[in-house]
Amino acid sequence: MSSVEIISLRKSYGDVVALTDIGVNIASGSFYTLLGPSGCGKTTLLRTIAGFHFQDAGRIVIDGQDIQDRPAHKRDVGMVFQDYAVFPHLSVAANVAFGLKQRKVPAADIGRRVADALRIVQLEQFAERMPHELSGGQQQRVGLARAMIINPTVLLMDEPLSNLDAKLRVDLRAELRRIQQDLGMTTIYVTHDQEEALAMSDTVCVMYGGIIQQAASPFEIYRKPANRFVAGFVGANNFLSTAVQGGRVILKASEQVVGELAGVGSAPAVGVTATVRPESMRVSFLPEAAQEDISIPARIRQISFIGREVEVIATSGTGEDLKAIVRPTSEILSLKPGSDARLTFNRRDLMLFENTETGRRLT
Amino acid sequence: MMSPSLFSRVRRGLDFWTLVTIAIVVVLIVLLILPIARVFILSFFDAKTGEFGIGNYIQIFTRNYYLNGLKNTLYVGFMGTLGACLVGVPLAFFTSRFRIKGSALISTLAILVLVAPPFIGAYSWIMMLGSNGFITNFFAWLGITTPTIYGAHGIILVFTLKFFPFVFLMTKTALSAVNKSFEDAAENLGCNAWQRFFKITLPLVFPAVSTGAIICFVLSIADFGTPAILGRGFRTLSTIAYSAYTSELGGTPSMAVTVSLVMMAISIFALIVQRRILATRRYASAMTNFPVVHKLTGMPNLAVHVYCYAVVCIAMAPTFVVVYTSVLETNGPVFTGGYGLTSYVRVLADAPEAILNSFKFALMAVVLIAIASGLISYLIVRRDNAVSGAIDVLMMVPYLVPGVVMAIGFVTTFRTGWFDLTGTGLIVVMIFFIRRLPYGVRSATTNMRQIKPSIEEAAINLGASPLKAFVTITVPLIMPGLIVGSLMSFITAINELSSTLIVYTSGTVTMPVKIYISVLDGEFGLAAALSTILLVCTGICVYAVFRLAEDRDSTFI
Repeated sequence: MSSVEIISLRKSYGDVVALTDIGVNIASGSFYTLLGPSGCGKTTLLRTIAGFHFQDAGRIVIDGQDIQDRPAHKRDVGMVFQDYAVFPHLSVAANVAFGLKQRKVPAADIGRRVADALRIVQLEQFAERMPHELSGGQQQRVGLARAMIINPTVLLMDEPLSNLDAKLRVDLRAELRRIQQDLGMTTIYVTHDQEEALAMSDTVCVMYGGIIQQAASPFEIYRKPANRFVAGFVGANNFLSTAVQGGRVILKASEQVVGELAGVGSAPAVGVTATVRPESMRVSFLPEAAQEDISIPARIRQISFIGREVEVIATSGTGEDLKAIVRPTSEILSLKPGSDARLTFNRRDLMLFENTETGRRLT
Repeated sequence: MMSPSLFSRVRRGLDFWTLVTIAIVVVLIVLLILPIARVFILSFFDAKTGEFGIGNYIQIFTRNYYLNGLKNTLYVGFMGTLGACLVGVPLAFFTSRFRIKGSALISTLAILVLVAPPFIGAYSWIMMLGSNGFITNFFAWLGITTPTIYGAHGIILVFTLKFFPFVFLMTKTALSAVNKSFEDAAENLGCNAWQRFFKITLPLVFPAVSTGAIICFVLSIADFGTPAILGRGFRTLSTIAYSAYTSELGGTPSMAVTVSLVMMAISIFALIVQRRILATRRYASAMTNFPVVHKLTGMPNLAVHVYCYAVVCIAMAPTFVVVYTSVLETNGPVFTGGYGLTSYVRVLADAPEAILNSFKFALMAVVLIAIASGLISYLIVRRDNAVSGAIDVLMMVPYLVPGVVMAIGFVTTFRTGWFDLTGTGLIVVMIFFIRRLPYGVRSATTNMRQIKPSIEEAAINLGASPLKAFVTITVPLIMPGLIVGSLMSFITAINELSSTLIVYTSGTVTMPVKIYISVLDGEFGLAAALSTILLVCTGICVYAVFRLAEDRDSTFI
């Protein structure tokens, strides 16, 4: 398996910029996920690596070799497609053997390697079936076996699980990750499903507007989002408006000072937004809260019991939407919409961002 | 906007599909644009003096000979189309809304009418209603004088019965897709059955009716065989063009092409008008509620059945007559009474080369069409650029160019100082190829659109070159479309008359040409035997299409 390096990659369609100065470093054998909303450029980037799109500028280097000008069929990168793309007129075994035949591998080796690949994806008893006799999940296993059998330098996956139903998606996700780790395949995985990205990846690369917003471990992406976009896109978040006075950031909803911007210099002209994760919030009925805690007076709008936890939707006194995710105690469940409560959280769970769509993190 | 990708493409070298695009463009320029352009330029040169100017066009719009031809063409074209609509729309309505016993048979017969060569109809009607036709003689024996089949109304009758299947099949498809809720709503609002049909249903299927009508009109305008055989002094633009061509033989056929171009202009004008009208009428609706097929009883049921079967039987009558005539005993051009295979023996003795040529030329053209339509359909569906868009538009052109124009264009383009292809089989094959290519492309394109692009990308990703991915993955997947398209091209190529009549020589006679000559010579037995052979070949292909095509009604139109 191989390391992948992408240097200053650019691509535009007419006036629309699809990729802006993309720089990526992927260690050999790691699972790298491109995560973002539709139109963010993640699929364009993946297809450019595969050679189905050509960049306007920049380099794609795999194991020290520039591949950006090679035609797609000479790149040796495996690809798994969203719609499986299993050849409908070929049997499962013939599908899996296709890439080896293109590489003129001797017939005896092909048979053995196809059997191995089918065993890895647990389809050994389906070798002679035709694709239309298989379920969606089985077809995608064929797609995976077909791509990995050629020992690609890097395995590209374009939302491979998004056409499957929810339960199967979770099962196959774990299996994909297991196979990837067993074989040590360098993998670039595209998804718009943040849970999938967090669960599977060594590195998550959040893209938006053709620009990489942050590339880091799932834990870091979630706990230390680099900017306001990442904070909002990965995991749920509450966005609270603030006022900045003399370098001190005051949360409008609670009129409490939540930060000092002295170290950062003068306050950004665009203002400051504070975020806090719903699971960091607690619902309290007592007026007195712990000293260091932030406490926002709010009116409860809706209580949704979703099994393991309860989602509490409320409106702050300043009219901002708030969401808390808490344990389902009988006290919480007996709350009526319209009743007053306080939403509290610890000051260290609060982050400050410049108040633009992709404003940087200040604390 | 294009420049960065164009630059990088040149830097990477020309890929397979770019080369294919260039090749297709070259072929279309040489075989389609160049001949039509030559014909267009030729029309501005005076036939006698060779002077450049619009003299030919002035003649057409001032001299009575041509003006009458123009009037006649429009008259039979319009009336034939009207007749086809009056016959075809009720038939479509009856077969889609009422339970008709054997309605599949009615569709099948309509399709057979469609693919039978048009001039077979013309001369069969002569055998039935001509001055010595058996129906004429039967009524004469009863002391009744039947109206003559020759002239305008004979041509209109043949056009009506020949072309109504276009209106019928298109309207039927549309009627089966009209959301029943519209008709229910009209009924709920107080419309009776007649009001419902004229105020709701007919307007909803108007796009389909008008498309069928426009096909009838274009084909009627360009039809040569029918007015040539039935005209008897009633001249249309296509027969005028042909006789101008034969009288100008050796000289420049500029009057012939000018007449043909006027013919083509009428077709294009009609098409544009129809498109304009349709552009303001787009009725998209979610299909939730399929129309109900009613079961009629008593007299209405009988009447509807009689109508449906009468229409297709009368339309099929020429075919029955041809087959019947082919087994009548003959001695030369004279029918001697009794039955026998003399006509077939004479076909084998006199015209084996016509059969061989027809198959040879049509098969060669179809092989080329199959290859080209596979490649072109890929370009049209997968390559979203200006060139493939232009190719897509160019594929409409052969439908509109009359065979006479195409043939004269070929003759003038491929007879130069350096080489002369006129009189060769190659020129016939090339004409068949370009005239019937759209059938293949249309069928392959429909099929190609159903294939996900990721299938080909997967093959390329696994190491197959674009050519290899196309051959091993795409071609097998569009094979049904290619076969149906090839069969359609073959059916229409083997029945081709108007262009072959201009380019044929003694060595390249085809079945339709031989049939046409035999009819003119009064050799009805020989013509009938050849026509029967042609019909059988066509019938076999139609059967094959039925077995292969998913939606057989709309494959033929």
